[in-house]
Parts: sequence; structure tokens; C-alpha cells
Amino acid sequence: MDIIAGLATVLGDPVLLAWVLLASVVGMIVGAIPGLTASAAIAMLLPLTFYMEPLPALAFLYVIGKSGRYGGSIAAILFNTPGTAASAATQLDGYPLARQGKAAKAMKVATISSVIGDLTGEILLIAGVAWIAAIALRLGPPELFAVYFAAFVVIGSVIGKSVVRGLASAALGILVAMVGLDPISATERFTFGSFDLTNGISLVPLMIGIFVLGEVFSQLETRQNQPALAAASPGDPSDNTLSWAEYKPCIPHVVRSSFIGAFIGMLPGLGSAIAAFVAYGEGKRRARDPQAWGRGALEGIAAPEAANNAVSGPSMAPLLTLGIPGSTIGAILIGVFLIHGIQIGPALFLTSRDLIFALFACGLIGIAMYGVIGYFGAAFVGRFITRIPAQVLYPVIFLTAFVAAYTSRGNLFDVYVMVAAGFAGWGMRKLDFNPAAFIISFVLAGGAEEAFRQSLLLSDTGLMIFVTRPIALAFLLIGVGALVLRVRRLARQRHASVQGSV
Amino acid sequence: MTVTPEPAPAARAVGTALILTGIGATAASLSIGLDQYGRWGARYFPLAASASLLVLGVIELRASAKDRRLDRSHLAAIAGLLALSVAYVWTISAFGYLIATALAAPLALLLFGVRSVAGLCAASVLCPLAYHLVFFVGLGVFPPLGRWFDLLDLIGGY
Repeated sequence: MDIIAGLATVLGDPVLLAWVLLASVVGMIVGAIPGLTASAAIAMLLPLTFYMEPLPALAFLYVIGKSGRYGGSIAAILFNTPGTAASAATQLDGYPLARQGKAAKAMKVATISSVIGDLTGEILLIAGVAWIAAIALRLGPPELFAVYFAAFVVIGSVIGKSVVRGLASAALGILVAMVGLDPISATERFTFGSFDLTNGISLVPLMIGIFVLGEVFSQLETRQNQPALAAASPGDPSDNTLSWAEYKPCIPHVVRSSFIGAFIGMLPGLGSAIAAFVAYGEGKRRARDPQAWGRGALEGIAAPEAANNAVSGPSMAPLLTLGIPGSTIGAILIGVFLIHGIQIGPALFLTSRDLIFALFACGLIGIAMYGVIGYFGAAFVGRFITRIPAQVLYPVIFLTAFVAAYTSRGNLFDVYVMVAAGFAGWGMRKLDFNPAAFIISFVLAGGAEEAFRQSLLLSDTGLMIFVTRPIALAFLLIGVGALVLRVRRLARQRHASVQGSV
Repeated sequence: MTVTPEPAPAARAVGTALILTGIGATAASLSIGLDQYGRWGARYFPLAASASLLVLGVIELRASAKDRRLDRSHLAAIAGLLALSVAYVWTISAFGYLIATALAAPLALLLFGVRSVAGLCAASVLCPLAYHLVFFVGLGVFPPLGRWFDLLDLIGGY
């Protein structure tokens, strides 16, 4: 019933609906611009939302995240360049279809599949999140620390190319979060006598630096080697209609991939790119004609698109119930909650239940909006993207990053932090470090430290408290197990590639 | 859909940097003051993260035999953008937002390959104007004023 009340709240507020509509369009465009991710757009727009009410602010950024994931498919299909990492799998069949003159048909399949996947994820979130929160309320500090530990290890080791550099990114994020005054004893840590550092490093300029300015640095490097975008030919209009008979074989793939995406979304750090590739691999394995996949199969678009959008809703579950962001977008949304004085975690469903279900309602309406706009207007968005000159776009993003970083606290020190983080973000991308693990660990470090120190105060046996409590032990083992499995898998792949090259 | 892992770039340099950062951070962590009861509470997490970096640096260095060369072809452009970024913030603090942005906007466009003189001139006027109107007038953010000189003083506030 909460969601019905949430829908009534949203549908009765035209201004809120206008924000959701704007977010649907902005997200789609941002997602469709190769190199510019929804995370970057959200980080850049975050300071604007300081001046909004909590619900429109959260809804605006949440829906940008959703439609941004979908928008990536437009660039993947039209330009053979994924707008986001999550749409790289869509490119495998989307671009061959576009080259056959069926770009609009491919985009319609992507739109319908994204909408079904996203709706599935959102409904699962709505149905399950309060239940997870009720369980989370029973967790004590040792269990919470073990959950944080598992999140650090999984986020650091599972995403990215290098386990060592991923874990190092997480450790660096923790170290940067320690700068400032210790929240319990007020002891200075890593301040090196600087007054500015006693307040700690602020999340907003750090995120803008890593995700926005870092991307501008990367684009300056890569754009010098890349030709301008050229859209595939629209082809014969009669080839671009989508019939029920054509879409029907996609449905089993869409249903399966939606659940794959939803499951992966609940696990912190894995994200939509992994979901899309897992769903694509699973779909191809079960396909009636696997040979057609990669040559323009409609099912090859439907599977990854359903999966990458199904991640969106469930990735909010660990954020809202435990305060653990499952994705970079989740980490950014934490900033919005904190700025508006809303404490996230299991108690959120006691203190701000109406707000959360209204946010979910905005998510549902946003899905419907980007679905309709995408079905009828994706080709137009594609043509619009080709008209945006990258030479102008990235300098504008560069200038916006500075003013956005300043706006967060009205402090030029934050702008210096943003510049340092931007350069670090570029270096991390270049050296296969993991910027997402860095930011998520930065966000988690405070809560993890608090849980750890509270646990030690509760304990008569010191660190043994973490292994004598079954749930805490289980989460510690999940973290260690995920790390071991990842290392073994990479070692096996490396061994296979060495043998293959001999 | 598995991707064959390729060696990470510049493993030796990264390993060494992680070790040095780990050593420095460990030393800094050990200098964090104890609480009133002489407990290490505030040191636990910084020490754990520092020690992790040290260990990960050693592991990275041991794997450096499979080093991959780093592409350094565009480092000059990156250095240029970094210098522009630092100079832009310093100029804001000295001359205020309007003058700094009027200078930074055409330079950023130049770095990204815009060569039209008219375009660069337009950017140096339109960019400060647009950002000023949106953020400092529209949103009501207090603008960063220049220590030495600020155009806002001349044109009559904001």
C-alpha cells in the first residue's frame, strides 16, 4: 500500500513530474554520449539539487541513473561505441543490425527490454526492501562491520581488471576518508597541520573530480585518436517496425536476464556492465541459434538491455537498508541523503518511509517516461548526439565541474580537492585502478570504522567477537571467498591464455 | 563472455608507489594521537589501510615481470589541462570568478581543438556570464571574490 500512496503523491505533484520527465530526457542524452556516464552527470548536477526539496532532488538523480543506463544502448546501436560500459554487450548485436539498416528496430527492442528489466528490478526492490530493512535492524555492530568488510573486499576485488589495484583503490579510499578529526576522540588524523584538512575531505568535490574532471582528462587523451561520431544509416522505414512475432522470441531472454540483473544488482559493486555480459553469455548459451548472436540477433540486444536496467532498482537495496552503496550512482545518492539531513540505513524505513516509497514511485514513472520517449524518439536523440561537438562539450563540462565543486560548500579548497581528485581519477583509469571502488570505500569507511570500534567496546574477547557471532563470520567468509574465487578465476584465465598462445 | 586478462600497466612503478605510500601512511598513522585512556582507537583504520597498501604494493612489485608499457603519447596535453585547472582555481582566488572564467574558457576550448577566434572570444564572454547567472544569481550561491581585484566590485555587485 505504501507504493500506492507514493504514486498518489507523485502523480498529484506536477512540478515533481516535470523533474522526473527532465531527468528521463537528460539521462537518455547523457547515457547516449560516448564517454559521458550517468554517474558523471549525476555528480555534476548534485550541487544543483542542494537547493531543491529532498524528494525532487533524489528523484531527479535516481531517474537520471535509470534512463542513463538505457541511453547507453542508443550510442551502442547507432555509433558502435557504447555510451556506458553497461551497453557494451548491446553493441555486439545492435550495431550489426544498424548496419543492415534496422537501427530503429534494434532501438525499439532495446527500449522495450530495458523497460521490462527496469520494472522487474523496481518491483522486486519495492516488494523486498522493507523486509531486508527489518532484518538489517537486528544486526549489531559486529555483523555490520562484517558486512562492510565483505563490501570492501567484493567491491575492490570483483570489479576492474586487477584485483591488487582494485583492493589498493579501496584502501586508498579508506585512507582519504580518515583525513580530519576522529569522530570519537576528536584526534587529528592526516591533517599535517592544515586547517582546511581538519574538516576532512568532502564527498561532493571528490566525486566530481573522480567522475567528471577525471573523465574530461581521459577524453582529452582519447579524443585525439578518435574520429567524429557517425550514425549508421536509418535504412528502409518498413524494416524498422517491430512486430509481436519478432519480439516474442526475446521474451524468455528478457525475463531470465531481468532476474539475473536484479540478483547482480543486490550485490554491492558488481554493477550493470557485469550483469549485461552475464545475461548475454547465458542467453547465447540457451539460444536456439547461437550462431546468429553477434551478427544482429534481436535476442542479443534484449538480454543485456533487460539485465543492465534490472540492476538499477535492486542496487538501491543495500544502500537504503544498510547504508552500503551498491554502485557509484548509489554512492552519489548518499551525498544527497546526507545533504538533506536524512540518515540512511535500516532506520530509514521508520523515519522516512513516505519519502522512500515516493522515490520508488518516481522510479516507476521515470521508467514509463523514458520508455515512451525512447520508443518514439531514440533515433532523434541519436541524431542530436552527432550534432554535439565534443570539442565544445568537454570544455563546458570542465568549467561546470569547477563551479559545481565550489557550490557544494562555497569553499575554494574544495575546488583544489576536485582538481587533485580529477587528476587522480584520470591516473586511476589509465593504470587500471578502480575509481568506483575508491569512492564507495571512501563513503563506507566512516560507518565501518564506527561499527568496528563499537564492536571492540562490546567485546570481552577483542577481535574474536567477529568470529564467534555466526552472521558476522558468514559475511567475513563471503568476503574472503569472493576474493579467493576471483583470484583463482583470473589465474585460470591467464593460464589458459598462456597455453593458447604457445 | 570472459576477457583474457592482460598484464597491468607500469606494474613496477605502481608497486613502488604503493609501497612508498604505504610506508608514509603507516608512519603518519602511528603519529595519530592516542585517546585520553591511551587507547589506539583512532589509529586502527588508518593503520589497517596503510598496511594493506604496503602489502598490495609488494604483491604488485612481485608481479612486475609481466609489466605492460604505459601509453605516454598525450601526457603533454594532460599536463596542460592540469596546469590550466590549478591556474584557474588560483586565478579565481586572486581575481574572482568572472575574470578567471573569461580566461579559462577559451584556453580549455583551445586544448580540445577549437581554433575559431570568434568562438573563443564568444566563450570568454558567454561562459562567465552564463555560469554567473545560473549559479550566483539563479541559485543564490555566494560567488568566490578575488583577493586582489574582482570585476563584481567594478560592475556593481552581484
